[in-house]
Amino acid sequence: MQLYLPIAEMPVDPFVVITMGAAVGFLSGMFGVGGGFLMTPLLIFYGIPPAVAVGTESSQIVASSVSGALAHLKRKTVDFQMGGFLVAGGAAGSVIGVLIFRMLIETGQIDTLISVSYVIFLGLIGGLMLWESIRTLLRSPEDKKRQARKRRSPAWLAALPFAMRFRASALYISPIAPITLGFLVGILASMLGVGGGFIMVPAMLYILNMPTNVVVGTSLFQIIFVTAITTILHAAANQTVDIALALLLLSGGVVGAQLGVRVGVRLKAEHLRALLALLVLGVCARLLIDLALPPASFFIVDGVR
Amino acid sequence: MRIFFLALTLIIAPAQAANIEIALTNDRVEVDTGFAGARLILFGAVTGLDDPASVDIISVIKGPEARFQVRQMEKNNLIWTPGPAHLIESAPGLYLTYATRPIDDIAPLPLQDQHRLDADYLDIAIGAHTTADAENAGLYRSAFLSEAEALGLYRSHVGGIEFKKGALFTITARLPTNTPVGEYEVAVYLFRNGELIGSDAAALAVNRVGLERRIYDFAHQRPVSYGIFCVALSLIAGWVASLAFRK
Repeated sequence: MQLYLPIAEMPVDPFVVITMGAAVGFLSGMFGVGGGFLMTPLLIFYGIPPAVAVGTESSQIVASSVSGALAHLKRKTVDFQMGGFLVAGGAAGSVIGVLIFRMLIETGQIDTLISVSYVIFLGLIGGLMLWESIRTLLRSPEDKKRQARKRRSPAWLAALPFAMRFRASALYISPIAPITLGFLVGILASMLGVGGGFIMVPAMLYILNMPTNVVVGTSLFQIIFVTAITTILHAAANQTVDIALALLLLSGGVVGAQLGVRVGVRLKAEHLRALLALLVLGVCARLLIDLALPPASFFIVDGVR
Repeated sequence: MRIFFLALTLIIAPAQAANIEIALTNDRVEVDTGFAGARLILFGAVTGLDDPASVDIISVIKGPEARFQVRQMEKNNLIWTPGPAHLIESAPGLYLTYATRPIDDIAPLPLQDQHRLDADYLDIAIGAHTTADAENAGLYRSAFLSEAEALGLYRSHVGGIEFKKGALFTITARLPTNTPVGEYEVAVYLFRNGELIGSDAAALAVNRVGLERRIYDFAHQRPVSYGIFCVALSLIAGWVASLAFRK
């Protein structure tokens, strides 16, 4: 069976696409990550034009973040004040990201840029994660106890002006920090079709020093708004959001995520992290190989509107 | 043109005023959500000949003119990246030929050129504003033709034409999944001994229809509303999914 995608303008096998959604959903449920950073490359491997993969993925992230965001709202584990600054920065970053995206579509470099950014992004994250998990796995139990230390904000953060009180996070820092973080994540989200939780959660924990209980809720709050804005901007500027594709991915994704969560709770956190690191590095290697190998054809022909 | 050739054949061989006529079984091809290419059947008849099977037929299906750009992949240190774009202002979006025998055996080159019976004779000009010199323009032109062939947009087939009873024949053409939408021209040319003795043409329209069309039009005509619609739908879908799996 074939389904002709209205925006990607190509026929796909809907069962394959749903299965892809389920597989990434499974992994994201198991590892507790968003999955955009796996879904976008997978769509590109399948043959979806990279620009459409990115635009569509942002709308799928909106959908897959809803349940988590609602749960955190109910539990009141969202720092709205911090979230507001993150969203403001994210919105600005998203506008810049989509503008760069549009420029690169016009000069025909967008596919390369997406692949290269992914290689760098996945290579860094995967490498760091693998390093971390190997260290954790090799470390003896008594070392682990010593690791529990009092966290402290970096000096430059305390030096930023306009410091204000964030009640829910029990912090007294400048809003410039979350705005900047949100901005960088917004650029990343709009150019790569990711949520950015991957970057934002560690940054909120280790740089902003937010308490663990509000970090995930607040990052989901930022992600849902910023990916929604990104979706609208991509649709408006580039016409690269394929709603049919997004819904297919989502239908597989929700089922996969439920199964993934069940498997995930049975595995050790260190093992999970090492597995995820290997997976991320695998995707990175595949993208790099595709970029480095001589192309199947030395010429590219595109239709121009 | 047809009348001219008809007149010509009348002068040369008045005893055998031959001609060819075609009709499409369906002059409308619909691209909907289930579109996976289409089969196109042409019915035709060769008239005024005693032995219709002794002639040759070439059919040309030409899609709407479109703009293209061609880029050469360049090695940049470790990776391959696309180079600058060379614009092709106008080239058929689809170009399929079907012939009873290899076209070179049927039609002499001047006639192939005159009637654009082979993709090599199409007017495909590389944009003048590019830096490509004459030699490179030829390179990009042939690159375009071979890429278009690889994409299934430009193909020449020997076969697909079947003589039925006496003077009647059918041409079975296959439109690829990436068939562009627009107005098409379907032409047939009748040859005997390297001479063009008749021709006919019919129009064909390829249109988007149904849900596929609605989504496409929505996304391209009201992109901001479409974006908001996508977000709203995603929020609803995500919410429904979270309800479905709530314990």
